[in-house]
This record gives sequence, structure tokens and C-alpha cells, in this order.
Amino acid sequence: MNTRYSDKRSLPVRVLSLLGKILILGTASIFTAFPFIWMIISSLKTKAEILNTDIFLPTSPQWSNITGIIFNSPIPKYIFNSAWVSLVIVALQIVTGAMLAYALVFLKFRTNKLLFTIVMGTYMLPVAATYIPSYIILADWHMLDSFRGLIISSTVSIFGIFLLRQGFMQIPKGLVEAARMDGASHWRALWEIVCPMTKSSFITFGLMNFISTYNNYMWPSLITKTSDYFLVSQGLRAFFIRDGAYGTEWALVMAASAVVVVPLLVLFAFTQKWFINGIGGETGIKG
Amino acid sequence: MAEIILKNITKEYENGFQAVKNINLEIKDNEFVILVGPSGCGKSTTLRMIAGLEDISEGDLYLDGNRINDVPPQNRDIAMVFQNYALYPHMTVYQNIAYSLKIKKVPKDEIDRRVKEVAASLGLTELLDRRPGQLSGGQKQRVAMGRAIIRHPKAFLMDEPLSNLDAKLRGQMRVEIADLYQRLNTTFIYVTHDQTEAMTLGTKIVVMKDGEIQQTDSPTNLFNYPVNKFVAGFIGTPAMNFFDAECTEEDGMVVLRTADGMIPLPEEKAAKLKEGGWLGKTVSAGIRPEHVRLCTEAEAAFKGTVSVFELLGSNAIIYVQCGDQRIIMNTDETDRQEHGSEVCLKPLAEKLHIFDPETERTITN
Repeated sequence: MNTRYSDKRSLPVRVLSLLGKILILGTASIFTAFPFIWMIISSLKTKAEILNTDIFLPTSPQWSNITGIIFNSPIPKYIFNSAWVSLVIVALQIVTGAMLAYALVFLKFRTNKLLFTIVMGTYMLPVAATYIPSYIILADWHMLDSFRGLIISSTVSIFGIFLLRQGFMQIPKGLVEAARMDGASHWRALWEIVCPMTKSSFITFGLMNFISTYNNYMWPSLITKTSDYFLVSQGLRAFFIRDGAYGTEWALVMAASAVVVVPLLVLFAFTQKWFINGIGGETGIKG
Repeated sequence: MAEIILKNITKEYENGFQAVKNINLEIKDNEFVILVGPSGCGKSTTLRMIAGLEDISEGDLYLDGNRINDVPPQNRDIAMVFQNYALYPHMTVYQNIAYSLKIKKVPKDEIDRRVKEVAASLGLTELLDRRPGQLSGGQKQRVAMGRAIIRHPKAFLMDEPLSNLDAKLRGQMRVEIADLYQRLNTTFIYVTHDQTEAMTLGTKIVVMKDGEIQQTDSPTNLFNYPVNKFVAGFIGTPAMNFFDAECTEEDGMVVLRTADGMIPLPEEKAAKLKEGGWLGKTVSAGIRPEHVRLCTEAEAAFKGTVSVFELLGSNAIIYVQCGDQRIIMNTDETDRQEHGSEVCLKPLAEKLHIFDPETERTITN
């Protein structure tokens, strides 16, 4: 028996419905993608072309804008800073987040629920409210204007704890108990049993936090002032206003912005399956 | 091989509920102990406390003379087979079985040798490269057992390991577990609510109810000499028939008077009832279905109509409605009875169990 869903609506209704969907989604996609496309196109224009609103495409692509950014600007250094600082931060956040999520899900202790409530409570705090105390702590530890300060202040991600906890809750407790009976410590059970079964939660968490740390502007700009420690967003701003040339080198600024996004696009291209799965709540584990 | 002693063990949860109440149990080397009882009786909690997966609220747990209340499960050297098998889905059968040895850092060739040996003994050789998701229930169960066996642990704990299998496979696996016990010659503690498993596998059975141990004994003793009505009713299929009867003395003989007749008691039981001052009082009596016989009207203790006749092959179960009381009889297939036919029944007096109706404890055993 054919059990496939069949659309019983008439042909014109179906065509109209399809056209409607295409129109709505197409418009939304254009609005979303246009700034990005505009940035890429502008990065290949001359300064004069950028300011001339009558010209959309460059008359002759200025590839030198891109090569200039890659070879003759500090932007690659900022990309490198952002990339490795984000990697270290995400690695630490995964370890701390996984440990706390494991404790919340698999360990029995009296204050388990209270602990989770407190942890989630801190998620409700506006990030800006934590800037001053965090700044003072880093200052006391002499970690301002350093990579160490940037990393230490982002060691724990509440979002990550929440995401991993939700993933861990899909795993039957018996599996962790079986591992414990097999002689595994909690540490081993976490990394050898729980982690492989919640791979998609880990990857989603890693990617999302990598992207947000990579792009982070406000906090790094508060605690770092030496350009050696700039991350990309800060670096872009510095590049934009360098030599007091506010808004004079639009083509280069656009080229720099385009170059900065490339690593994230490459990352997304390789991991989009996991990324979308993780956000959609699919953990890859069957109940 | 291990000797396990539970001394005044209690498990109380945060909300004050006591799952296990002050139990004492001694499990000797090489014993196959079955914890049996209805759902919620505390049998699994007891097993999990022995495993170290549940904290012990009060009391002491000893393994080979050492108090292990605070020893984490991974250091107890006890293996456990779980009800839902708890196989690691991302590992192959080989990796599942080898995992405990890998943790112990056993050399790879030794692991390989032992995994293959265990796999061969459980008929898993062909399945070593498969993942648990590709196995049937019975195969998963074997892998779970293989994972436990390979460690040569001091004791095996099994938490209702057959309850997820169909009836035929359950019977087959039961035989395999019995065979395993003979081969491994070590201590087994097995939780089940299935009294057939309990009776066929155990060398010692612990019957539990509401967190308390009702009776600890050999399967035969438990069947023949239950200490109370609960144990008598729980052990045996179909369950024991219970009825109230008045204990009187007639013509110098102690008898139990039922609604439809009387049952003359053998001397030993009569003496115990007399000693206990039960003459003239109502007692609660029990008789197993296999100890009920069809009889003439003159001998009858119960008269009633056949409500159901179940032919099970070589034997048959007859359900007889005697007024408000239903008496079940387990007999051989030649005693065929039609639905609605009138029958007279008598219990074998020497097989009667007599209980105090208040305390439900046995009077005659």
C-alpha cells in the first residue's frame, strides 16, 4: 500500500502556494545575504566606485585590494590571534562544560537541582553586568592586555553547559553505570562513553562558541589595548580608523572584512551537517 | 570468588522513603543467590548497593571481610549485567567485551586472546565486528554476559537480565546462565521478579517485600516450608490457594472445617495447632494447586463448578469456583473437566500450610 503523503489540493492552488513560498523565502534570503554580497563586491571596487551608487559591479575587479590585505596589512595576524585564542577558549569550555554537565546529569548529590538553577540563573545576567567585576579580577591578577586574560575570562560557557546537559540527558544512565562497573572512572566514562555518543552536541557547541569568540568585539576591546593582542573585530576597527583616516579607505576595509570571514565560511562548509543537526536538537542518539 | 555480607543495610531516599529496611544477608563463596519479590520490593536497590551504584544509608557491606560501603564501583571488582544490557552503542561487540581489560591496561594480545575465548564460549565469534544496534535481544544479552565474564570478577550481579527477552529465548538463556554458573564456579547474585527463574537458577533464594527480607532459604525449602503467607503465595505457579477454616476437634481428631466439608489433619500438624491453642479458632490455610485432588462428595472439602479448564500439554489447570472462593487445581491431562461441571475437591492434608490469620506467619512448619 502506498502510504506516502499525497497533496490533494488542486494544481493551481499548489502552484500558487509554491510561488508564495519561493517569494517569501527568496526575499528573506536576499535581505540576509545582500550585505554580504555587497561587501564582497565592494572589496573588488575602487574607492571612487564604492561611493558611486550607480555602479553595482566593479568595472574591473581590484584583486590588489585582497592581496594587499593578505600580504601588506596586520589583518592576517588578527585572524591568527582570533583563531588560536578561540580554539583554546573553546577547548577549555568543552572540558569545563562537559564536566559540569556530566555532574548535573549523572551524579547524585543533594544540591544538584540547586546548582543547575544557579548556573542557569547566571545565564539570565546581561553580559555587560559582568564586565566590571571581571575586569577588576583580571586587573588584580595582572592579566589585562594579554592573551591569558582573554582566555581565562572565557573558560566557562553557560550556554555550553546547558547544551551538553541536554545532550547527556538523552543517554541512558545504565551506560555510565555499566562503564563504572567495568572499572572506568567518571573521567573515563565522560570521555569514552558519554562524549562519543553526544558528538553532535559537542561539535555544535564548539562551532557556535568558536564563531562567537572569533567575532567577539566588546570584551576583548575592553581588556586589550596593544595591537599585538587584537582579535579580528578589534583589528578591523583599528584598521578602519588607522592614521585618522576615518572612512577613507572603504575598498580596503571591505576587502579586510571579506578576508576575515573566510575562515568561518570554510569551517561552516565542512561542518554544516553537524551545526544544523545540533541546533535542531538532533543528537544522533536513538532513545 | 567472594563472600558478601550485608549487615543491617538500609536505603533511605531524600524524601524519606525507605526502599530497603535493615536487611541482613550472608552470601557465601560460589553461591547463586536470587533476590526475588514483586516490583518495588527493594531487590534491585539491594543489588545496586552491592554494586556501589547506590549509596548505603545505614549498615555495613562487606566483601571478603572488608567493609566496602565507600569503595567506588570501579574498585569493587564486581561485574554486573543490566536489565537493558547497557552495551556501548558506539563500540563493536569486541570493544564492548574488551573495554574493562583496556581500562586495566591488560596487554593487547592478552585482551585479544581473552575476548576470542569468551566470544567462543558464548557463540559470539561471528559477531565480534558488529555494533550492538545490529544484534538481536539474545545476542545482546550474551555480549552483556561476555563483558562481565571476561574480567574474572569476584562476583556477578545480574539485574533482571532476561526480562527483555521473549519466553522461548528466556528459557534458553536461563539454561545458559545455569551452565555459566557451573563453569565459572563463582558467586552470583541475581535479581528477578520471575519465580520460575528464581527456583530454577538459585542455590539460595531471598524473598523480599516492601524493603524487607521475608525468607532466605533453598528453593526446595522455600517451596515446601514458606514462613508466611506472602512467601507461600509468591513462590509456585499457579499460586497457592488460600482459604479460611475453623480448627476444631471431632471424634478425637483435629480437623479444619471448611464451608463444604472438613479436612482431617495429620498428627504432627494437629499437635502444633493444639499446642498453639488454635482449637476453636479460625486459621488461614493454604494448599498448592498440585496438592488438590478430585474426590467423592463424602471426602469433599470444597464443592464447586469448573469455570476454566486449561490444557497445558501433559498437565492441566482447573479453576473451580466454590461460592466466593476460587480453588485452582494442577492435575494431569487425563482429568479433563467440562466448563460448568460440578466437582468435589480435597487438599492433601499432609501438604497443607496453616497460617496465623493476624500475623500471616506459619503455624505448622
